[in-house]
Amino acid sequence: MVFSVAWHFLHDRGLAEETAQDVFLSLHRNLADIETPAHAAFWLRKVAVQRSIDAARKRQRRPQVPLEDVAEPSVRPAPGDPMLGGMLRRLIATLPEMPRMAMILRYQEDLDPAEIAATMGIPLGTVKSHIQRSLGLLREKLERRGVGER
Amino acid sequence: MRPVRTFALGTALAATLWAQQFQFNLDYLSSKASNSFDVSLNTSMLQFAARFLDTKDPDEAKVKKLIVGIEGIYIKSFEFKNPGGYAPADLEKVRTQLKAPEWSRIVGMKSGGESENIEVWARNEKGKVTGVAILASEPRQLTVANLVGNIDLESLADLGGHFGLPNLPKAPKKK
Amino acid sequence: MDWLEQELADALARKEPAAGFDGRVRARLHRGPRWLAAAAAVLVVVGGGEAWRQYRGELAKEQVMTAMRIAGSKLNRVQVQLKGTEQ
Repeated sequence: MVFSVAWHFLHDRGLAEETAQDVFLSLHRNLADIETPAHAAFWLRKVAVQRSIDAARKRQRRPQVPLEDVAEPSVRPAPGDPMLGGMLRRLIATLPEMPRMAMILRYQEDLDPAEIAATMGIPLGTVKSHIQRSLGLLREKLERRGVGER
Repeated sequence: MRPVRTFALGTALAATLWAQQFQFNLDYLSSKASNSFDVSLNTSMLQFAARFLDTKDPDEAKVKKLIVGIEGIYIKSFEFKNPGGYAPADLEKVRTQLKAPEWSRIVGMKSGGESENIEVWARNEKGKVTGVAILASEPRQLTVANLVGNIDLESLADLGGHFGLPNLPKAPKKK
Repeated sequence: MDWLEQELADALARKEPAAGFDGRVRARLHRGPRWLAAAAAVLVVVGGGEAWRQYRGELAKEQVMTAMRIAGSKLNRVQVQLKGTEQ
């Protein structure tokens, strides 16, 4: 879960692993404060989010490109096509940090908006706005390419 | 009201029986240390840990027996890359607390041209030993330990060898 | 969930780290051999109640053993010194 959050957010396997290692080391140091497995899961997710965002900011190798400006791929994938998965992952990676993380927590971790708000420490309304806008942009992008529900 | 108050007082008293018996106040040394060990184990944690000790392992079996009398273990240990990582005053702050009447120093040792110094103190309450303090310092290492409860020092030293402490002094008479 | 959300769930399915990840975490912990076993258990912390309890127990055990060794070694040093003085 931790590595996966970092990977989908950073799109850099080495940096994602380093970030994930940092999270587990941090857990080990704070273990006395963890009460239950559920608490551990929440804690891990929260710290994974924080560390991933920090890592992205420190990296600053790839300037954030607005979703609208992402170049369209030349091949047109269809729903169910593994290439669509790759396209979606690339599109997600170009989202600004907060909407990107909200989308990862929503669709990788299957958290509801309230849980995402608690994990990211942002208002519920902001989470909903990030998700709705990101979905809207993704749909628009995909429809322009002729990719949509059959 | 009285039963509730008595219960609350009793709970508070029970809670302090295993609590650390003097303050270390050495956390700031962690940032200077190349290595540090910090443990705070109260009675319930010791009992919980005891369930995982394997009696087939000789060391773990000894520790399992020792834990029976121990109500709390509090240790801070620091290693420094170079001498001077801690100041004599850091240890003196701890030692000052052990000058309280219930504490008495039972043995002190200096070796290596006085570069290694170990002191063992015992806490006496109503004629019983209720805790032990160990202060150990070397140029690049500092260890402070408080073992709360009825400590079998000889068995504890067995983990590293035999030990024959002089008789523990009786509780000081009240003046 | 509509088709896009389902595609997103599939696309963002959890990825595993490369083999040996837990070993690399342990290596960074820089503890003695006994701690490595406890550190490995960090990675099962979300595995469920029993795994969690087992990990907490192993960690507590390691802490007790290390604490006793530290205290015992100091007491033993005093003993060695006393014996040397008595002779």
